[in-house]
Amino acid sequence: MVQEHGWRRRSVLGAAIGGATLPFLGTARAADKPPVKIGWLVALTGANSSPGIGFNRGIAFATQVLNEAGGIGGRQIEIVTRDTQGDPTKAVNAALEVVSQQRVEFLLGPTNSGESLATEPVTARYKVPSLLYSVVDSLVDIRRYPYYFRQLPSNTQWTEAAQNYVLKVLKAQKVGVIGDATGYGTATLQLAASEFKKAGGDVVYTALIDPNATDATAEMQKAKQAGAEALLVWSDSAGLNARIMNARGGIGWDAPMIGHPAMGTGIVKNLLKQPSYWGKVYIVGYRSTSFDAGGQLPARTQDFLKLVGDKVKLSDTTLWWVACGYDSVNLIKWAIDHGGSSEPAAVKRAWESLTSYPGIFGDYGYSATNHNGYPTAEVVMNAADSFKNGAYSLAPGY
Amino acid sequence: MIWASILVAGIATGAVYAMIGLAYNVMYSTSKVMSFTAGMLGMLGSVFGALFIGVLHWPVAAGFVATLAVGGIFGWITERLSVRPVLRNIDKHLYVLSTLALALMVQQLAAIEWGTEPRPFPTLFGIGHDLTSEQYWLPVIACIIAAAALEWFYRGTLAGRAFLAISEDARAALALGIPERRMRVLSYVLSGVVGAFAGFVGGELLLAFFANGMMLTFYGFIPVAIGGLGSNRGALVGGLVLGLIQQAANYWFGGDMVPVVAFAVFIAILLAMPRGLFGAAAQRRV
Repeated sequence: MVQEHGWRRRSVLGAAIGGATLPFLGTARAADKPPVKIGWLVALTGANSSPGIGFNRGIAFATQVLNEAGGIGGRQIEIVTRDTQGDPTKAVNAALEVVSQQRVEFLLGPTNSGESLATEPVTARYKVPSLLYSVVDSLVDIRRYPYYFRQLPSNTQWTEAAQNYVLKVLKAQKVGVIGDATGYGTATLQLAASEFKKAGGDVVYTALIDPNATDATAEMQKAKQAGAEALLVWSDSAGLNARIMNARGGIGWDAPMIGHPAMGTGIVKNLLKQPSYWGKVYIVGYRSTSFDAGGQLPARTQDFLKLVGDKVKLSDTTLWWVACGYDSVNLIKWAIDHGGSSEPAAVKRAWESLTSYPGIFGDYGYSATNHNGYPTAEVVMNAADSFKNGAYSLAPGY
Repeated sequence: MIWASILVAGIATGAVYAMIGLAYNVMYSTSKVMSFTAGMLGMLGSVFGALFIGVLHWPVAAGFVATLAVGGIFGWITERLSVRPVLRNIDKHLYVLSTLALALMVQQLAAIEWGTEPRPFPTLFGIGHDLTSEQYWLPVIACIIAAAALEWFYRGTLAGRAFLAISEDARAALALGIPERRMRVLSYVLSGVVGAFAGFVGGELLLAFFANGMMLTFYGFIPVAIGGLGSNRGALVGGLVLGLIQQAANYWFGGDMVPVVAFAVFIAILLAMPRGLFGAAAQRRV
């Protein structure tokens, strides 16, 4: 009963958000053809809501642009938004509601891994073509979840990009690998260490650190003594990331830290004892939304920014989140245009035939045997302390 | 050097736990209630300290006093809302639920108003660096001061002796004319001040973070159980032992094993010494 109240409240909230951001919904109802209904499961409030807010702006903007141009095959787009608040239980309830009662034809999200792991098994039987907003590798499983396609890179692609940067650009052979003691941190530490060894590198130190640990000095000293030339750090805890940087700086060590994008947030910056401790920290980023050495974004991204103008607020979010959301709606349009209908089987066939869709966030391509659509070559390292206007600069060496 | 960092960080963290343990004990002394709001007092101490000094730019002394006042007020609210009705009307042991409910409400409010990410706590004195930084020695000194002040209060003041009398036998104390309810309110206010003090002096170490509340609630309870319910000496020793065990376990066994090791030690001590290290067997007049 409590949960029912919960999602009713969220439905109202979702409708309010939809009403605020998508004023064109009225035209959809007035149109002769039924709208293309897209379920959007997103954490817009609560912990870890920052990415969701960014993705949401891109989705709203793309919907507005496409609807003003006549929609998809004359059908207006209707986004059915549900705020999951980062809670897997709420995400499952919302997912079931949008697929079974709202009868959406597409599903986007949820926007965090725990929610995705919880919702995917329960929505799979509805055969709704879905774009995943999570990096967890196991979420893409063509046999169990044939209608799920990933729009973001996978965790393996992240670790591979970080590893390539260490081995090929920094030319470091010995690394320490650090993860936080969460499910994500533990799994990624094992993955990163194993892949680094396979690539010929030497993992001289590994450590799982409690995200609430008050100090990481001992771990940094041990990594340094073990001869680590660089550190691969996989944690989305701002507090732990800052403590690791403070400990590294505190012992006068400047080995590069490479890893999770959370190391580049303003929250981490505020927790550092000295601004210089943010130096030589390189985070996972994307070529499409990175400034080059001349301070320029790629031409396609610049064109997107001209289109956006002041219609989308970018100053308090990350450009790739907005670009990714924008691409989602356009990928759906592409699938309907090329598949001939919004029937699940036709959409699936269309996406599986997509070799290279030139999105703003990246060039996507899927096949019948590969539902991971983001190219690894587009995953790059950014300098953590270079954030400006929603984007980071490429790390040195590219 | 590695040993030094484990020792320094362990003792500092343990000192914060010990002070939260003291807050538990002060509440327990007059009500026999283990209030799970104790950890929230610590969280509020760091959050309000960061708010007053870091955000509103009040002088450190003013921010400190205001933070302790917030703690005292929250202590009073705890007694009024989640302890008094339980002791008066319903099953006494429901205080577990009533205090936990209040704690969760406060944590949720802090998350909504303060944010869900950790925020920095301002540097108070700027003395020392690295392992001699104030974030490590300040909680230890504060813990010694808090324990000594409580000892003086209990032994050297009339109100403190009244606390002890109620702790020994509330009905007998009432029969002797000690205002039991007023003393209980006072103990909750005092506990609020002690808990907020812990959060304030531990703010640089733990950061101003809403999730610290529940963490301190659990890790502040362990020293009390290890040391013996109501024993301040036990809370001090238990807190320091817990802090050191955590740091060592994090280093040697990995962060995922920290709670396992901490709770294993907790259970082992309770199995061997059910009343804790310093707990005295309850005496009954016959």
